[in-house]
Amino acid sequence: MQAAVAIPVAPAASVVGKTAISLKRLKKTFEDDEGNVVEVIRDITLDIHDGEFISIVGPSGCGKTTMFNIIANLLEPTSGEIVLRKARPRGKKGSPIGYMLQRDLLFPWRTILDNVTLGLELAGVPKAERYDKGRAYLSRYGLGDFANAYPHSLSGGMRQRAALIRTLITDPDIILLDEPFSALDYQTRLVLEDEIVSILREFGKTVVLITHDIGEAIAMSDRIAVMTQRPTMVKTVYDVGLSREYGSCLKARTDARYQALFDAIWADLDIQLGGK
Amino acid sequence: MSAVTSLDTPVPRKKTVSERKRRARQVLLQDNLARALIVFLGFVLWQVGVNQKFIDPFLMGEPRGIALEAWRMIETGQLLTDVVATVQATITGFLGGSILGSLCGLALWYARRLARILDPFFIALNSLPKIALAPMIIIWFGSGIFSKIALAFIATFVVSLLTAYQGSHQIDANLVNMMRSLGATKRQIFAKLVIPATMPWIISAFRLNIGFALIAEVGGEFIASEVGLGHLIFVNGNLFNLNAVWVGVLALMIVAACLYLFVTRIEKRLFAWAKH
Ligand SMILES: Nc1ncnc2c1ncn2[C@@H]1O[C@H](COP(=O)(O)OP(=O)(O)OP(=O)(O)O)[C@@H](O)[C@H]1O
Ligand SMILES: [Mg+2]
Repeated sequence: MQAAVAIPVAPAASVVGKTAISLKRLKKTFEDDEGNVVEVIRDITLDIHDGEFISIVGPSGCGKTTMFNIIANLLEPTSGEIVLRKARPRGKKGSPIGYMLQRDLLFPWRTILDNVTLGLELAGVPKAERYDKGRAYLSRYGLGDFANAYPHSLSGGMRQRAALIRTLITDPDIILLDEPFSALDYQTRLVLEDEIVSILREFGKTVVLITHDIGEAIAMSDRIAVMTQRPTMVKTVYDVGLSREYGSCLKARTDARYQALFDAIWADLDIQLGGK
Repeated sequence: MSAVTSLDTPVPRKKTVSERKRRARQVLLQDNLARALIVFLGFVLWQVGVNQKFIDPFLMGEPRGIALEAWRMIETGQLLTDVVATVQATITGFLGGSILGSLCGLALWYARRLARILDPFFIALNSLPKIALAPMIIIWFGSGIFSKIALAFIATFVVSLLTAYQGSHQIDANLVNMMRSLGATKRQIFAKLVIPATMPWIISAFRLNIGFALIAEVGGEFIASEVGLGHLIFVNGNLFNLNAVWVGVLALMIVAACLYLFVTRIEKRLFAWAKH
């Protein structure tokens, strides 16, 4: 079980100065049905900088979603601590962290409009105001015609976009995205990548993205953290920043460094896929 | 790669809803005609059997006698009185038990500990044939309508409570997590997730409860009563008046079918989002 890789976690030079979330020696174990202790997260130590776009890449089942659940305060870590930057502007309602879970989790009994405005409704925003905002978001993400449709009549990709809107609409400072594009076709995915990055960057959001798509991670991120097999640790952190440099994810994919990074990350993952 | 899709590809609308509706209505009409024919043929064969002396009308009754008996009871107003008495007690007990039971079951979502402690009692009560309580209930509430209402109430209350309780505990934990990540309070989770997500369970319990309420009510009438369809059936059964028994049985069937249709209608209206 012991992963023999010992590449030190290099704290990469930050794009923006301050730290938004600091994960210190996070550890998480679960107990299975027979009472055996399963170690899922061994040690995650990672600083997420204010305003950066960081991707998490790691083998399936290594504990990425678990890590998000801990950051979003839905799970208690077994040990370790999370330090959240406090500076939340006064008068701003709702949670400072927006979390888009791995599945779309739309309520089948609500229309798309009512689904995407759920967070605003919970924060007590008046109906007219939240509907206006909801409609604006829906049309910006190409779902304008589906405001009054029910989730069952939408395709997987459309549902995922609706879930994304539900996360963004409450205007959180830190956004956790757990494979937000997995149900999208390739073209839509490329378009949406670009769109998301530019919108979130424009508003200075801090974004943490979990993805299985190495290319997507390189095209979008300022940094990429590669995780080891379960029990997981941060294996390597890469500085990327191609999309910031080019102002476009599509162009980022054409840079020579893209392939080099791809190979490096692939090799990182490959070691773990190959032998335990 | 999948076919080229743009961000705003609309789902093709289903063509001419009204035509499909008309077609469906036509099919339903034909089916109902076939059903009526089956019933009619059954009665004709029965009558022929009696006329040919294959069937003993004293033990089995005969359609002509049933019709005469029914007509007599309609004329004297006895049938109406009995139907009203039975329907009144059944519906009152059914609505009271189903609604209160559902509310209590939902409320148990709040009190997990209490729910866990009470769980075996519910299971025991649920497996108890409620008619076993009839002698006691009749001692407490007399032989009038109140004991019948109480019986229908108990029979339906337990079913609704258990169903609502189980339904509310089977809600996907990810849905709860999603609500919590949007900053929902427990009360909001209850109102906006637990209640709507449990609704299909509650309604299905309503549908089951029609049968249970009738069983309990008629059973109660068998044991002690002055009016009602159960009373009619029981008394005439003791007198070997099989034709009158049949009138009571057929009337009960019609009552049950009407109640069932009523609940199905409500269900359809409530769950428009699940249909196309
Ligand atoms: N509540 C739980 N109880 C026991 N084990 C759990 C629990 N939640 C997660 N696990 C285990 O922890 C491991 C990591 O799960 P997690 O969902 O975090 O993986 P992941 O990296 O997000 O995987 P994927 O890429 O497939 O989404 C899995 O092996 C899973 O079985
Ligand atoms: Mg996951």
